[in-house]
Amino acid sequence: MRPGFLLPSIHSAPPFFTQQPHPGTNETATEHWATLILTYARHRKLFVLRVEDTEAADSEWQEVLRNERINRKLLATYLSAILESMVAKNSAVYDPPGQTRSVLLYWRLPEEWAEVLHTWAISTGQLNTILTFYEITDPPIPSPLSNMPANLLRKAIAVLAKTGRAQLITVADGEGVRLFQGTGK
Amino acid sequence: MTLRRCTKSVDGTIPIPALVYNDEELLASQDGVGIYDGTQKSANHQSGTIHVTTHRLFFVSAARARAHSFALDLDLVSQTDHYAGLFKSSPKVTLHISTEIASSSSTGAADAADDTPFASWECQVCGYRNPPGRSPAAARICGLCGVPRDSVPSPHSNPPLSSSLPPSSSLPTLRAPPSGSGADERACPACTFLNHPALRACEMCGTTLPIPPAAASSQSAPSSRPSSPDPDDDDDDDASARIIKVSFRKGGDRAFYGVLRRSLKSKAWVAATTMRSPATSPGDMGSGIARILRDAESTAGGRTAHMSAAFQDLEALMVKAADMVRLAADLNERLTATATALPGGAATEPEEATFIRSSLAQLGLQMAGAPVTQDMMQDERRWVESLTRELARVLQGASGSGLMRDRGVIALDEVWGGWNRARGVALLPPTTLLQVVPHLPAHTTPPIAARTLPSGLRVLHTPPFAPAAFAARLAGLLALAGPKTTTEVAAEERVPVGLAAELVGEVEADGEVCRDDGACMIRGGDVEVRWWGNVFHGCAWDGQRV
Repeated sequence: MRPGFLLPSIHSAPPFFTQQPHPGTNETATEHWATLILTYARHRKLFVLRVEDTEAADSEWQEVLRNERINRKLLATYLSAILESMVAKNSAVYDPPGQTRSVLLYWRLPEEWAEVLHTWAISTGQLNTILTFYEITDPPIPSPLSNMPANLLRKAIAVLAKTGRAQLITVADGEGVRLFQGTGK
Repeated sequence: MTLRRCTKSVDGTIPIPALVYNDEELLASQDGVGIYDGTQKSANHQSGTIHVTTHRLFFVSAARARAHSFALDLDLVSQTDHYAGLFKSSPKVTLHISTEIASSSSTGAADAADDTPFASWECQVCGYRNPPGRSPAAARICGLCGVPRDSVPSPHSNPPLSSSLPPSSSLPTLRAPPSGSGADERACPACTFLNHPALRACEMCGTTLPIPPAAASSQSAPSSRPSSPDPDDDDDDDASARIIKVSFRKGGDRAFYGVLRRSLKSKAWVAATTMRSPATSPGDMGSGIARILRDAESTAGGRTAHMSAAFQDLEALMVKAADMVRLAADLNERLTATATALPGGAATEPEEATFIRSSLAQLGLQMAGAPVTQDMMQDERRWVESLTRELARVLQGASGSGLMRDRGVIALDEVWGGWNRARGVALLPPTTLLQVVPHLPAHTTPPIAARTLPSGLRVLHTPPFAPAAFAARLAGLLALAGPKTTTEVAAEERVPVGLAAELVGEVEADGEVCRDDGACMIRGGDVEVRWWGNVFHGCAWDGQRV
């Protein structure tokens, strides 16, 4: 259903899977890993990356975290170092907060997601109506927001609410949001 | 009879050195001798060895050493004669035994043998425990305070005067069996076994039994106690009978007689007594505590005298040393004066002056305020330079035989060891090596330099092993021949693996190479790290675009 993902050439170099002691080399390698992870996540619409994904054989991440052809895999210790660096650069955030084993990937930042949500509401003509989170993350017609984690959605709504384009409403069976046109800032 | 009366039976199987007292000394021995008791041959003592010591004469029977050996105290010998021998008659030494001594001191000897030589005793005065094994005469006096053993009467001690009591009290018990079972039985003089009167030798030990006077059979028992004077000996109490002859069947009589004479003359047994007897030293305060104190005082006095003599020597030396220091100072002053008087000043100071000053400095007579340090620095620089040349020879060798002939890198500890081994003498401390190393590049071709590896190991290396050169070579190798393990790098560079690891580690620290850890392998794994050229250099993203 999805076309294949084009891996970078560095992914077939064995040293890429080893954490390099030299700080400069390590920084370059980690940057490449961060780019690879975000690109892949965007491609596969993945929002969460866990350290355990290096070990789980059925994980969606196996394609990037392992390279069967050159017999190499990413070690959990190196992945947690990579995640730490990504969190530091705000391309990911620990989710739930207060631990370092799992991150929410920001292949789009909450601000970008806010724009996507707003655009989607306009295009589907759902302004000024109350939408539940479920209606947004699991619409009948697949949208860019499909399968979006609730807390990421909440962050996007919070961004919109700041500019007066959304209003968070507590409804009977959970949370809802009303989106406005909000012409300008 | 003389023989039995005057001698004591000993066990001849015990070596003589074990039989002698602590203060007794074995002087001479002679084998192949026989003993005459009086003028008659003594049947049991016809073949044996005779030993003369400072105190006693030992006869050890060759045939039956246990039963027929005896010892004779030399203080019983009043006179000796030497008979050189004639035709078939062997040379003989005749020992005249003085009767009164024999009768009196044989009892003393007997009771001394009873208790003294192999028993320790405690002095009544000073409490010193006297060790066993001293001669009877010496053993009667305390070895520490010199107080005679029995001077303080005690219920436990056995004064010599009362020593006649035990024999007399034991006599009845000895006599009891004869009176009960029959007076005819004869007691063996050696083992006291009561033999049948018809026997001539003891049934148990084979000792010749005394021939009983036919008239009085009851007198056989007293004869078994040679120490007690008995009437039947009166017949041979005349001087001619009181002799023992030693017949030398195998010669050696002259030497033996000489030794015996000397031993008799020196009277070691008397000397021991007089030495320890307080009566013979009239100037003394006496014995006991006073004597101990006096001994301690004299020892301390002697030590003080020695010490003061030694210190006098030292003082004389110190006076000389002061002279020497003054001389050195004088010399130094004159040198400085000459140097300043010269137009060139201190810079052109003559060679001799430098030499003198450095000599003084080496003697530890360095003068303050003189420019010796500068001279010494010059001197030391020259010294270091010559050492550097020597080390360069050791490393590179005159004909390519040095330590670094076919090695590019060598650890400093090995250099130090090799250098000192080459020197053999006048070994150098590591500090000197460290002093010399910075000067090496100037004296070596190709220049040998030092570098410190990441672990802190210091090495000497040829130019190809300078950090930049090695890094370039390693990067080239990895680019050409693909990834290598440390071992392969070591083989390629012909250096030890540990050293190769250090060198590659340094290149990695510079970011020229990167590693591929075997732990990252999906299958297998657990292999050595492989080194790659830095694949991240100039690596741009060429994967999927959004």
